[in-house]
Amino acid sequence: MSALPDFRLLRPASARDAILLRGAHPASRFIAGGTDLLPNMRRGLVDAEVLIELAGITELRELQDQGDALRIGAGVTLATLAADATVRERLPVLAQAALAVAGPTHRHAATLGGNLCLDTRCQYYNQSEDWRRGNSYCLKRVGDTCRVAPKSKRCYAAFSGDVAPALLALDAEAEILGPGGVRRLPLAELYRDDGMAALALGADELLLAVTVPLASNRFSGYEKLRVRGAIDFPLAGVAVALARDGDVIASLRIACTGVSSRPELVAGLDALVGHPLDDAALATIERGVRRAIQPMETTTVSVPYRRRATPVLAKRLVRRLWDEGG
Amino acid sequence: MNAPDRDLHRVGGALEAPRGVGVRMPLIDGVEKVNGSARYTADLPAQGALVGKILRSPYAHAELLEVDVRDALALPGVVGIVTGEHCDVRYGVIPIAQNEFPLARGRLRYVGEPVAAIAAIDEATANAALAAIRLKVRELPAYFEAADARKSDTVLLHDNKKGNLEREVHHEFGDSAAGFAAADLIREETFECAEIHHAMMEPNAALASWDAERGHLTLWSVTQVPYYVHTSLAQCMKLDPAYIRVIKPFVGGGFGHRVETLNFEIIVALLAREVRGTVRLLQTREEAFLTHRGRPQSHIRMKLGLTRDGRMTACEAEVVQRGGAYGGYGIVSILYAGALLNGLYDIPAVKYDGYRVYTNTPPCGAMRGHGTVNVRFAFESLLDTMAAELGLDAFAVRRRNLLSAPTETINGLKIMSYGLPECLDWVEQASGWRDRATRSGGDGPIKRGIGIACSHFVSGSAKPVHFTGQPHATIALRVDFDGAITILTGAADIGQGSSTVVTQVVAEVLGVEHRRLRVIAADSALTPKDNGSYSSRVTFMVGNAAADAARKLKALLVTAAAKRLQVPEAEVDWFGEAAAVVGDPTRQIPFHDIVEEALVDVGMLTVKGLFTCPVEFQGGKQRGGAVGSTMGFSYAAQAVEVSVDAELGKVTVEKVWSAIDCGFAINPMAVEGQVQGAIWMGMGQAMSEETVYENGRHKAASLLEYRVPTIVESPDIEVHIVESIDPNGPFGAKEASEGPLSGVMSAIAAAIEDAVGTRIRELPFTPDRVFDAIHRQPRAGASAPAAEQGAA
Repeated sequence: MSALPDFRLLRPASARDAILLRGAHPASRFIAGGTDLLPNMRRGLVDAEVLIELAGITELRELQDQGDALRIGAGVTLATLAADATVRERLPVLAQAALAVAGPTHRHAATLGGNLCLDTRCQYYNQSEDWRRGNSYCLKRVGDTCRVAPKSKRCYAAFSGDVAPALLALDAEAEILGPGGVRRLPLAELYRDDGMAALALGADELLLAVTVPLASNRFSGYEKLRVRGAIDFPLAGVAVALARDGDVIASLRIACTGVSSRPELVAGLDALVGHPLDDAALATIERGVRRAIQPMETTTVSVPYRRRATPVLAKRLVRRLWDEGG
Repeated sequence: MNAPDRDLHRVGGALEAPRGVGVRMPLIDGVEKVNGSARYTADLPAQGALVGKILRSPYAHAELLEVDVRDALALPGVVGIVTGEHCDVRYGVIPIAQNEFPLARGRLRYVGEPVAAIAAIDEATANAALAAIRLKVRELPAYFEAADARKSDTVLLHDNKKGNLEREVHHEFGDSAAGFAAADLIREETFECAEIHHAMMEPNAALASWDAERGHLTLWSVTQVPYYVHTSLAQCMKLDPAYIRVIKPFVGGGFGHRVETLNFEIIVALLAREVRGTVRLLQTREEAFLTHRGRPQSHIRMKLGLTRDGRMTACEAEVVQRGGAYGGYGIVSILYAGALLNGLYDIPAVKYDGYRVYTNTPPCGAMRGHGTVNVRFAFESLLDTMAAELGLDAFAVRRRNLLSAPTETINGLKIMSYGLPECLDWVEQASGWRDRATRSGGDGPIKRGIGIACSHFVSGSAKPVHFTGQPHATIALRVDFDGAITILTGAADIGQGSSTVVTQVVAEVLGVEHRRLRVIAADSALTPKDNGSYSSRVTFMVGNAAADAARKLKALLVTAAAKRLQVPEAEVDWFGEAAAVVGDPTRQIPFHDIVEEALVDVGMLTVKGLFTCPVEFQGGKQRGGAVGSTMGFSYAAQAVEVSVDAELGKVTVEKVWSAIDCGFAINPMAVEGQVQGAIWMGMGQAMSEETVYENGRHKAASLLEYRVPTIVESPDIEVHIVESIDPNGPFGAKEASEGPLSGVMSAIAAAIEDAVGTRIRELPFTPDRVFDAIHRQPRAGASAPAAEQGAA
């Protein structure tokens, strides 16, 4: 990759100062671990004259056990998250998803907020400036055509974070600080199905934390489809949170990643509540997952494969958690 | 681990550390690499060096009408620009096939081909200058697949090459028609192998310094072949080689990427001369993928005849290689692919048709296991399939076709040592092969399977690419007043351990401590010419030259010791660090006294060791007989155990047993490392690595998308060393690093078939391909493997 372009680095001491700086500098970006932002900058994908470093803001790094919920600051690193005792015991899907990201050195630097706000990815976008210029660019940046779907008016770059589906399955809430104060919203509402603008965040808003309910009797897990066991972004990722009431399903939430421009919460699973996990239920899950995902040629691994394998991951994971709960 | 334990040579009883051959010891330059003090090309201090950058073609195929650099040159901070105008001399590693300019002239033939280069005061200025260069071109039809390039109405990439064929090979040894007539079973299958890249750890870099006063050039580069680089520089710069100095610093791997002169090495030199100063040219990972020289995409049609009891009667192979835009090593690759069908088994007849095709993709080259790897995948795979059809065991069918050394193959390759039977025996036993029937089973989606394969490789090409009439290897030892022994070798240590091997050989012959030895390697101003680190030639050839030099030095020192001790030479007891009178250890003199005596009247001692492959080893006289000729072949057998997730198509390599006949392990630890590396690299080709071009543009030109296995994928690899003691190798040694690679793909394919009943003939075995193969409808008439197992 090329060298980093020049930028100014600002180091606010509080979240409030951070968003004020963000408002004052239109061509700025927040930087935490930098594992997504810096390679993208080196590839000329980011127009940032100013980087606002969040590392000095201690409030972002707090992990608070509130009894019935866990509040996780956006600056908590993935390594910390994966090693946290409460997360490992009560929210295994979250620990597994955090551990599934890249490699150990990335996880040491990368943060929860960074993974939730990961830029969408595509084989025609995550390339060097020379490469993209030679290919006449693409809709997501500079160009006017989506290389994945040339007739489309939208960009299909894939959301590829591992942690978001885990938090969707856990029904987490996002806490966002803006100039007008703090707002809270279900995590699903942080995302839009648009590869060019997948985050429903204002320009001067900052993700402060997520809050995850600590439900009991819930079993959860994350499975990731990838060619290699490390480094790779998900070809598909599936997170499941399941509660069982004797022989019937008490609640079931499934979310997917890597298969559209946002993390997708699978709809239509409420109908399974009160039913056993039989073949009919698994067929419903398969249908639900198939409907939720829309893998496109954002990677070099075939689309039909990703489409067919994702429901397999989901069904297998649900069955395993069902057995764990039995 | 399991390498042979030996009595260590403790000459004179005064020494502590093991030092000779056969000793398990870390590489002598390992510490610097681990603690970070090793300086690679990019680390070299160069005060005031300008930043070099290359402008690369965005076109896959075009006439280059104009390169307008005026605006770029006018930018403040831009010191110089070179284009195709600055060098009108073609270069290339094969003297008869040089068709590449360091910077394009008249024609652009692949995306990424260098067009111009800039020397500027910093990177930002260089980037701005690159953007200011304007190209005027007329685009031409481009071909990205060999089949498309070979069509009748194509535009030729090189005007003198009809059908875009760089080279067509048609060789037949023995009578293949008679062989097939004698067969009880004949089968033919096609195999597809994706193009792969070396992914060596160190990115490309070069530093060039032009001494304007003297008109001298010094180049530091990441090369495996400093001598070839030296001659290419002289040729392209029209400069007397006497005015050039080439130095190879620490190099972080090559695997064939750096086994020929690469365009950037000439470009940086042209830039340095243009600006009359020093230019550093560091490249991105993407640029390494564009410079490429990897293993070509290969389409292979393999046909084999077997008798009912598994005896091979004839083999016929057709290989089409997509060679990329320029010649490079292409001729050798397509020749080797055929020649190395021989030398592993006893095959009475081999017919080979090879086609090396020019396409508008980055040039391919001589990657580890040059020429033989993909063909071995096809051959071993087909052999397994046919053995199963005949109801023969995979080991049995291979044992049925063993050679017996010394012998000569039908294409005139001499085989003086052959440890394949012992390799097979160990692998069969260690892997629990005979118990495997109980291994598989279970109703879950995860199936386990095991497969085996054999392979081999040359220990140095007996015919050098550049014929000079000079010895194949030359080494010098220097001793002066200080009593230090300096080993001067041109051999390029690229991490494979050549400096360590040479040191161990010298220590063995002289019996001195390692601390007395130092190696100075690969600096043309100091060290003798060496052809380079390719075709696994260094241990065999340079090792022999080192032993020769050490013996000559020892003779001089023994003479001196005799003189000092005032006894005849026959009465000198040589202890390495000392010498004494035979039978009277009290009359002993230390090494420094011996050296002092040796220097009387003559001063500094310089002795030279040589090695030359005798002409009878340089191949038979028949057509194609010289191809693949070598002094000795390494042999390898391996078993691979995999698990296959049948629902997701995911294959995991669980365990590998690899036996290597390397003749003699000069350093068992280094041999094991080389074998493990070879297995691991073969596993990458088998499982996940492939270049991906779309309209000639490389879509996977990063280590994120070009999927080299990670440590998570790395299985336990058990290495067993077989020592066949080759009569010509240094202390019996042969190569150890390339042979074990070629069997990995077919062993994994066999293991997958054992697990899920599907034979995959297309590399790599990525989850989507495996998934498709498992879910493909069985061919009409083919019986389900499960049913066969039940019947057996």
